[in-house]
Amino acid sequence: MPGPSSSFAQRERRFALALLAPALLLLLLITTAPLVYLLWASVQRLDMSMPWLSGFAGAANYVKMGGDPRFWNSLTLTVIYTGSTVVLQVLVGLALALLVLQIPKGQGLFRIAAILPIVLAPVVVGLFWRTLVLAPDFGLVDLVTRALGLGSHNWLGDPQLALISVIAIHTWQWTPFAFLVLLATLATLPPDVFEAARLDRAGAWQRFRYITLPLIRPAIVMVIILRTMTALSAFAAIFAATGGGPGSSTEILNLYAYRTSFTELNIGYGASLATVLLALTLAVSFFLFKRRRGRE
Amino acid sequence: MTNAHHPSRRGALQRGLALGAAAAATPWLAMPAAAQADDLGPYRAAKINWRQAEGESISVAVIPAGYFDNLITLAPQFEALTGVKLRFERVPPGQIRQKAMLDLSSKTATFATHAADPMYYPVYTANRWVEPLDRYLNDATLTDAAWFNYNDILKAWRDADSVDGKPYGIPYDGEVTVQVYRKDLYDARGLKPADTLDQLLANAKALTDPANRMFGLALRGFAGAGQNMYVYPSIFRSFGGSWFNGSNLVVNSPQAVAALEWYVNALTQYAPPAVRNWNWPDIADAFSQGTVGCYIDAHSSASVITNPEKSKVLGKIGYARWPKGPNGKRVTSIWNWGFPINAALSEKQKRATWLFISWAASAETQARTSWKFAGPGKRSGLNRSSLWRAPEFAQAMQGAGDNFINAALESLDQDTDVEWRPRMPQWPAVGEAMATSIQAALVGQKKAKEALDEAQARIQQVLKG
Repeated sequence: MPGPSSSFAQRERRFALALLAPALLLLLLITTAPLVYLLWASVQRLDMSMPWLSGFAGAANYVKMGGDPRFWNSLTLTVIYTGSTVVLQVLVGLALALLVLQIPKGQGLFRIAAILPIVLAPVVVGLFWRTLVLAPDFGLVDLVTRALGLGSHNWLGDPQLALISVIAIHTWQWTPFAFLVLLATLATLPPDVFEAARLDRAGAWQRFRYITLPLIRPAIVMVIILRTMTALSAFAAIFAATGGGPGSSTEILNLYAYRTSFTELNIGYGASLATVLLALTLAVSFFLFKRRRGRE
Repeated sequence: MTNAHHPSRRGALQRGLALGAAAAATPWLAMPAAAQADDLGPYRAAKINWRQAEGESISVAVIPAGYFDNLITLAPQFEALTGVKLRFERVPPGQIRQKAMLDLSSKTATFATHAADPMYYPVYTANRWVEPLDRYLNDATLTDAAWFNYNDILKAWRDADSVDGKPYGIPYDGEVTVQVYRKDLYDARGLKPADTLDQLLANAKALTDPANRMFGLALRGFAGAGQNMYVYPSIFRSFGGSWFNGSNLVVNSPQAVAALEWYVNALTQYAPPAVRNWNWPDIADAFSQGTVGCYIDAHSSASVITNPEKSKVLGKIGYARWPKGPNGKRVTSIWNWGFPINAALSEKQKRATWLFISWAASAETQARTSWKFAGPGKRSGLNRSSLWRAPEFAQAMQGAGDNFINAALESLDQDTDVEWRPRMPQWPAVGEAMATSIQAALVGQKKAKEALDEAQARIQQVLKG
């Protein structure tokens, strides 16, 4: 008798749905609803300092970006910031991993040390660098440069140095992630391949270029994807260290959207900036994921 | 981020700790305060029914600062007087504007009132987020006009908290910017506190000696509407600049460029190199350590530089008014923290809030948070002209240094200027754009003219919406 059994299965499914519903609803409420609101706000003219102009704006907010030099500046900075931090993290992380791999004992110690920056809250990292590491006169970096005869610099006050500084801060915090992932991957590589290569008189560089690198490529791509997504949406460390300044020299897109919405009170334009950042992040990750699949 | 304008949390904490320690160690010291707490006579002299909102409970957002801590200490007196329960929330100065705005715009009525930045009243009123207070001042059941004496509150601050002649906030605490200088160093070199901006630079030049870590001058240099855009407006106005040309905001006039060039030059030549990242606490710290000869900032920073535990310059401090600019004007800040009434409250809550505001701004409470205060931190930002002239106040401020009350009072009477900064609903964006451009000029990223042209372009874009 199929009837009762199918209705039993149906009832089961309905029951399962009922059990899931609260969680799903909550998820919808806390993730999808704000996103929909963001998209809605981005097509509105919603400026709290000029409430009399409020209303539907269509694509006006997006069109406005074309002629907004500060938007282009922040977009350029986002690209520079993301590109340089990700490349640095992978290069330094890989170099460190290869180095530590050679150490026969005490690798665990390095792993623990590497975890430390990652578990710090980015705001803490930003404030810590701002007050203890990069402060002129008594900061750590300043002590070193003065001892080396390079003089004292206003690390976060000079536009170019500030950009380099925030890149250094992000790299410092997140290189350990690349390091840990790559170290773990390197440790799993089969030793026999390397032995065979050595018998064939492959040099160290050749072994690295033709064996190690292809073998750990998936891990590197994974690290690049994850780090790129974080770097694109970086906020707290820069906010705490420079607030986007001096001027707008460290104002990446995320900070510009924040300043527009919450300092200048132009919620509509701020929302459209955030939407662009969201689209950018999705597009870049999609592209990277595709490349990862394509080659494998 | 950044908009810390006022005594640091550290300072407040220290004062709080000191107060707690004093109360714990010497119970007899706390006794007079307790006795005073029962004395509600001065309030009951007002011919209003203080208990008309009994049973209500209201929340007040303030910043963590000594002058609000003193008020919080007195809260039980207010509760005993009115039967209204008070809950204070301390929000750091960098966040209080956003937090208040979030509450006001979403009409959640979380904060019945908050310590408000006077520059924000235009945006509050444009959105009808706060109540016009003339109704409350003129209602005899809510205000005993003779007892409250609204006109005794300093005019500059009343005006700063009004829009189109209507009051929207009642000033509780405020400050003027004054010259603070090292009297010992000035005397040794035969210098006098500057009367003009040129003299200020000449004095600074005479004292500056970077090799011995001595700098002649310091002014807030950090970016922010409450930092570099707190100092620059005074210079700009005393160079004869005016913000509006007709109804258009113009920030790149020749006077504006000259004023910014003066500011850049002064900091580049005579200030500590890090000053471009400094807000007032950093400046006060450097002055306390004896590395700065003169600074211009809030008179209330005296509480930091006269702290015997930290300051190396006790007894060596003098005060004077802002120097005159090229057009012969001295322009000081009209900064104050006032209390508005959230328009999203119920009628009874609004009345309870008004009772709180009139209690906090009354002459009696002002005195009780200043010279009558039992703890060590006596407030110096009193809101009333009569109290500034009280001998008890002079007595309490004796330790601040030479000419303290005089300099501050003359500034309050003569140097205040409501058009100190451009008052308009778009101020948050305008202040931000100005701060960003001024900083670009201060760090040498752009020339003054170029930076201000950019600010003008940005502001035009903002005003277009």
